[in-house]
Amino acid sequence: MGRTEIPPGTLYMLILRSLDRLGPMHGYGIALHIQQMSDSVLQVEEGALYPALQRMLIKGWVKAEWGQTENNRRARYYKLTPAGRKQLTEEVSEFTRVMEAITRVIEPA
Amino acid sequence: MEGPGELWRRLLFLLGRSRFNREMEEEMRFHLESRAERNRAEGMNGDEAGFAARRQFGNAPLLEEKSREAWGWSGLDHLMQDVKFAIRSLRKNPFFVVVVVLTLAFGIGVNTAIFSAVNALLLNPYPFPQPDRILSVDARHISGKNSGTGHRVFLDWQQQNTVFDVMAITPERRGYTLTGAGEPQRMAGGLTTADFLRVLGVQPVLGRFFTAEEDSPGAAPVAVLTYATWRQRFGGDPAVLGRTMTLNARTFTVIGVLPRGFAFPGIETCEFFTALRESGSMDRNQHQYGVVARLKPGVTVEQAQSEMSTIARRLEQQYPATNTGWGVKVQPIGTALAEETGTLVGVLFAAVGFVLLLACVNVSGLLLARASSRTREIAIRTSLGAGRGRIVRQMLTETVLLSLSGGGVGILLAVWLMKVLRAAAPEELALDATLHLNPAVLAFTVAVSLLSGIVSGLAPAWSASGAEPNSILKEDGNAWSRARSRNRLMAWLVAGEVALAVILMAGAGLLMKSFAVALHVDTGLRVEHVLTFALNLPGAKYSSDARVSAFYGDLLERLKSSPGVEAAAGVMTLPMIPGMTGGAFQVEGRPKAPDWVDTLVQYNVSTPGYFGAMGIPILRGRDFNQQDNGTSLPVAIVNDALARQYFPNEDPIGHRYRDDYDGKWRTIVGVAANIQHQQPTKPPMPGVYAPHTQWPSNSMWVTVRGRGDAAQLTDTARTAVRERDHDLPLLNIRTMREVVADSLSESRLVASLLSGFAVFALLLATIGIYGIVDYSVRQRSREMGIRMALGATYGDVVALVVRKGALPAAAGVAVGVPAALAACGVIRAMLYGTGPRDLSVFVGVPALLLLVALGASYLPARRAAKVDSIAALRCE
Repeated sequence: MGRTEIPPGTLYMLILRSLDRLGPMHGYGIALHIQQMSDSVLQVEEGALYPALQRMLIKGWVKAEWGQTENNRRARYYKLTPAGRKQLTEEVSEFTRVMEAITRVIEPA
Repeated sequence: MEGPGELWRRLLFLLGRSRFNREMEEEMRFHLESRAERNRAEGMNGDEAGFAARRQFGNAPLLEEKSREAWGWSGLDHLMQDVKFAIRSLRKNPFFVVVVVLTLAFGIGVNTAIFSAVNALLLNPYPFPQPDRILSVDARHISGKNSGTGHRVFLDWQQQNTVFDVMAITPERRGYTLTGAGEPQRMAGGLTTADFLRVLGVQPVLGRFFTAEEDSPGAAPVAVLTYATWRQRFGGDPAVLGRTMTLNARTFTVIGVLPRGFAFPGIETCEFFTALRESGSMDRNQHQYGVVARLKPGVTVEQAQSEMSTIARRLEQQYPATNTGWGVKVQPIGTALAEETGTLVGVLFAAVGFVLLLACVNVSGLLLARASSRTREIAIRTSLGAGRGRIVRQMLTETVLLSLSGGGVGILLAVWLMKVLRAAAPEELALDATLHLNPAVLAFTVAVSLLSGIVSGLAPAWSASGAEPNSILKEDGNAWSRARSRNRLMAWLVAGEVALAVILMAGAGLLMKSFAVALHVDTGLRVEHVLTFALNLPGAKYSSDARVSAFYGDLLERLKSSPGVEAAAGVMTLPMIPGMTGGAFQVEGRPKAPDWVDTLVQYNVSTPGYFGAMGIPILRGRDFNQQDNGTSLPVAIVNDALARQYFPNEDPIGHRYRDDYDGKWRTIVGVAANIQHQQPTKPPMPGVYAPHTQWPSNSMWVTVRGRGDAAQLTDTARTAVRERDHDLPLLNIRTMREVVADSLSESRLVASLLSGFAVFALLLATIGIYGIVDYSVRQRSREMGIRMALGATYGDVVALVVRKGALPAAAGVAVGVPAALAACGVIRAMLYGTGPRDLSVFVGVPALLLLVALGASYLPARRAAKVDSIAALRCE
């Protein structure tokens, strides 16, 4: 079924970056965006977004509001907060640092 | 890193929680529907598009729950859910609930009652500031045979020590007669020294305590009232200070009132306090008082002990005649009291602990049997995503709910038991004032209830939750091995239960046997038809020896000539009454023992006819008679124990001895048989009797022998005393049989409590064994059918089933007997007329338990063997 185990930290980063790029979005939108941007390499178990979003709400990285979609359906929209933006910068730089280190290790000599 | 904002958001969530589920559900539905639409747009057909969306999404209910859990309130939610679920599932099984609740109620109830007694006695008896700074300071003889402090040594300590702020003699309870206010009444006073209240750190609410000057021999008597006395006898009069009471014909002036609820162990019954007024000129050979002291700030108990030991050694050097061998023991008052009642309390606590453990084990067995009927329910819950921890928690919620209900019922039982304890406990423990339900006791009950719920629920919950749902739902062969593992657990439980029961029943058996022996021991007295009461002639009115002698001589004559009376006599110390008067004993012509404790004998005083009235044979010589008086030759009667110890090869009659009372040489004129003087269980000690005319004591016990029921003599006795002195109250009126029985009240209390526990243990073991055998029979009715169809006889099947109960019971006995032998060593000191390895107990108890195990297994076995094999095979 191609479920890719994503460490929780990375999932936060993906969500934060999606919201950062596209502005307020509902959960389904975030899932679609991650899937499209990664050319379907990253197949998140889509439901896993929701517990993660709740944890981010608690941390204060995002805010949630109910709104209307273009098809006039009710959906909960998530919006990045300043704290969330700060968190994103930290996570990205940390991730890049780790990735670069790993790349150095696995690169052929 | 939980910031304030985060906590705030969590709290807001808690308020809007009812909305949360709806919104979460809506949000996820939106997601699924949008994804399905997209799938359809990409060419999937209707159903497939929905399935694919759901597959991609994952377990929606589980994710919803995870989302909710993220907020950290799920513990609360689960608890509420579990409680609701537990109530629903328990409601279906009212019989099960009643059995479990009652079982636990008994276990928790007896624990609560005993804890409340311990709490009252040991843990919290002192509502004083800094109670750990209050020490008991006790003079102890090196031999361990004697302890207590005299006034003279108390003064030495007070003058020489630098470690205590203040010291005081603990109040000595003494009876007074109050006159001049209607009928003469008894009042109990506590005699103490000036600093007693300062030691405890208590202030009078009205007036003051007495001063050191008022505690000197010539000072006018003063009284400090307890709060209750002030309210009851003086109507709470705020102007009570300066009012007077006539006590023992002397005028006492009220100078103070103590705060409400003032209590100190041993003096709860005192109605007022007054000064001891001893001169301190007495010699150091006195050991009647207890001493308490308050430590100076910064001084440790060890420092105090070391300085007091130094003082004691100095006193030994200065006064070798009286102080040789006398040391000092310093310890917090709580510890001192614990030392006295330690074993008793320990044994009771251990016993109730066993009772509770037994109850828990039994409940475990019941739960295990019940769990077998719930395997499908649990399997379904597991396959719907409930983790093992969640299921265990759910089942524990059920047990804790049961155990808390048990605790509730148990408190009712405890309140009743406390009433019994208050009535039955020895008076000197003074439980009346302190043994009640209080917050500490309630907290204990709640804690014990929770704990016993968890203890009894854990094993069954763990075992039930571990099953593999697939095999259960498919009902394949694994069910068989699961039932086997449960059977094995139940067998363990039964074995444990039987082992516990053996220990409890053996202990109870030993104590009951001791009590039965003690009750029928030959005291050497003829207790039938004898009434006893005490008189205490007030010193002011009966100021001379002649008056005291005349009073008793006259009273006894009146009694003897009353109708229905065969004999009447007086004695200073009645047999079977706690406490004694004693001192040194020196035979004329032999050297005085270096240490008076070595020649300790009991002193007693009697009137002519006492031995006859009590049925004590005079072995040699004669009883006292009317010719023995204050001016005639000093004479004495010794008991057989003394005769054997001091005159092993000669006739004691004609020898002379000297005692501490007046130093006169007394000529031995008779030898009386030994009697049990302290308690039926204590060996007789050497004793001497002096005639009352030569040792006139104001306080005497009067014994009256009649022909019929001794209690009927009460009116005769009252009339005779009133005719002689209408202000004199009769104290402690009891038949001699009651006196003997009361001397055993403590052993009776312990024996009856423990036998109650033992009966309960037996009952639980029976239920437990019956339960496991019955359960295994139900599980195997089909197997039994097959066996019988294949030719097994009735006897074969019964034997097969009975083994299910008998084997674990035998294992329990095998473990329980050695454990009980070890445990019963602890109660050696409480036994009498038997040892901790009493054969009849250690054969009888296991035999009884095995018999019960066979009986409890036979009933279900018989049912199993009567199963119609065809019906059993068909029903599945």
